[in-house]
Amino acid sequence: MFTRYLLPLLALAGFLFGLYMVVTGNKPTPVAEPVAQPAQAPFESFIAGSGLVEARSENIAIGTPLPGVVTRVAVKAGERVKAGQILFELDDREARAEEGVRRAATARARAGVEEAAASLKEAAILLQLAESVDDRRAISLEELERRRNAHAIARSRLDSAKAQVGQAEAELTAVRTTLVRLRVRALIDGEVLKVNVHPGEFAMAGVTNLPLLVLGNLTELRIRVDIDENDAWRFRKEAKAVAYLRGNRDLKTELSFAYVEPYVIPKRSLTGDSTERVDTRVLQVLYRFDPSQLAAYVGQQMDVFIEAPDMIPQTAADGPPDTRVLP
Amino acid sequence: MYRIALKMLMGDRGKYLGIIMGLTFASLIMTQQPAIFVGLIMRSYSFITDLGLPDIWVMDPEVQWVDDIKPLQDTELYRVRGVAGVAWAMPLYKGLLKARLPNGMFQTCIVVGLDDATLVGGPPRMVEGRLADLRRADAVIIDIDGAREKLSQPPAVPGGKRIELKIGDTLELNDHRAVIAGFSKNTRTILSQPVLYTTYSRAKQFAPRERKMLSFILAKAKPGEALADLTRRIRTTTGLAAYSREEFMGVTFRYFLKNTGIPINFGVSVMLGFIVGAAIAGQTFYSFTRENLRQFGVLKAMGTSNWTLLRMILLQATLVGMIGYGLGVGLTSLFGWAMRNTILAFKFPWYLLLFSGIGVTLICAFAALISIRRVITLEPAVVFKS
Repeated sequence: MFTRYLLPLLALAGFLFGLYMVVTGNKPTPVAEPVAQPAQAPFESFIAGSGLVEARSENIAIGTPLPGVVTRVAVKAGERVKAGQILFELDDREARAEEGVRRAATARARAGVEEAAASLKEAAILLQLAESVDDRRAISLEELERRRNAHAIARSRLDSAKAQVGQAEAELTAVRTTLVRLRVRALIDGEVLKVNVHPGEFAMAGVTNLPLLVLGNLTELRIRVDIDENDAWRFRKEAKAVAYLRGNRDLKTELSFAYVEPYVIPKRSLTGDSTERVDTRVLQVLYRFDPSQLAAYVGQQMDVFIEAPDMIPQTAADGPPDTRVLP
Repeated sequence: MYRIALKMLMGDRGKYLGIIMGLTFASLIMTQQPAIFVGLIMRSYSFITDLGLPDIWVMDPEVQWVDDIKPLQDTELYRVRGVAGVAWAMPLYKGLLKARLPNGMFQTCIVVGLDDATLVGGPPRMVEGRLADLRRADAVIIDIDGAREKLSQPPAVPGGKRIELKIGDTLELNDHRAVIAGFSKNTRTILSQPVLYTTYSRAKQFAPRERKMLSFILAKAKPGEALADLTRRIRTTTGLAAYSREEFMGVTFRYFLKNTGIPINFGVSVMLGFIVGAAIAGQTFYSFTRENLRQFGVLKAMGTSNWTLLRMILLQATLVGMIGYGLGVGLTSLFGWAMRNTILAFKFPWYLLLFSGIGVTLICAFAALISIRRVITLEPAVVFKS
């Protein structure tokens, strides 16, 4: 019984179990769908590059001519500003005190002029008296000369006092200029993109790592596209270009060519550390687009595709292609 | 006639079971060992299998297998994107980093950095959380096996349960904080390191500073584009190596074949199984035929043709072969089923069924052949001699 039926049945069961294991154990691994669909180029043949949105005026990192502690920030991020509007103010107490000193010095100098004028007048009268004496014996020649000299000296003193007024006034103007320079103003119409200073912070003069304030003209947005130097020869100014917003490929915009910076620069890593060394150089091309067409923020990364001739090494070997980007 | 053949076969239970045991053993060895081998090899490229979305992997031409990372410059990504026929191309970081657990323990993990915007290349299945949770600050997704085993901490009280990581727990990756945002189910890798998923830019922060960070470029072909043409085009235009998924699996597999002893070891085991199975089954079958020579002689004397006798022996061989094969396959499957949730690498593809089937057939054919020779050359008169 065992040998006749059970063994074949067991064998059949074993084989079927094997089949079951084969079927269940080899299901294909499920494919993880991307969270957002990647952008795809609408062209047959193209150059791809990463683009960084910037303001029409480029992003202006506002600096201060004088170092000092910030006492007031007059604008908020996102605020529109006019040319000449105050952006922030630095501590001006020292300059104000200096202004008082200079103003007092001016007043003193003015008083000095009056004093010198009075002395001149006195010397002039004394000289006139001496000169109006007809009898030579009544007055000595020495006395007459002394009075003449006194008059000349008094006149020079008046000139000197007047010059001192001019100097004091110039010094007062210099202090007032300093006071003006302690108020940092916008030089163009635009929008405040970033505010990095707060009242109480020390603002360094010169180029800082973190700009104190970023200003830009947003009437039109620009996109700065990095093209690998190896692809630069394929770039054509008149070629069509499209930019896609990262994270949602339905948000895209046609780009119109603005200009090429005809200087190939080392690539700046957009994502990583600034100290990262990448020994590639990139050509930077600027395109413009209408901000009403695509709500992009300044500084946002975009995927850019530029239509370009196909890269077939054979044709490249036939003859040098027109690689000139320079106008 | 066939009934007589079966009666002859099953009449001697000892020998019958002996033959079947030999064949079962041979079939077991010839399926179970290759199944473990296939399991191990598939683990060597499980990272590629798990990443189903891209068609093409682009990497440094010197890369020998999937864990042999030779990073590229970041701009290479855009060059690959610019190759005609590429629908999209995404960066992928893959590297080994030390994770420090809250109790101070260290564990080397595979860190995978996915493109920030699209998160292309995510884990195949999510157990807890969603892939989009990676967009949170410092978020990482850990594979559940790693979280339960290597990244769990010893129990707080002796004899208690190990403390497993939960969503929201933090790890330290190279002095950076990482928060667990989810758990994924991955196919195990060959060295069973835990796998951590994060975004590309975050992975670059976690990783020690290197000049180049881009490990792989994952590309998708445009619909209707022949992969072979496209990989060739990527190779010629960028000078990088481009493989389709299957090619890259093959590259990894060949590396293992050439540089590790794994295939030879398993090949030797399979060979031994085959030889021992063939020896036991062949020898038992032959001695069984010899013992039944009298019966064959009688049949022959009664005028049964050689052809009929041959078919009788073939029937016997086929029957024991099928039973032995079935039992062997069944035992292998039972083994695989029992070990399905353990760390053991076991993979049972259809071609192993075929492989062991052919092996058992060869053994049976060999056993039947030597018996048939004996029966055919048999003189019927022998039966009446003694």
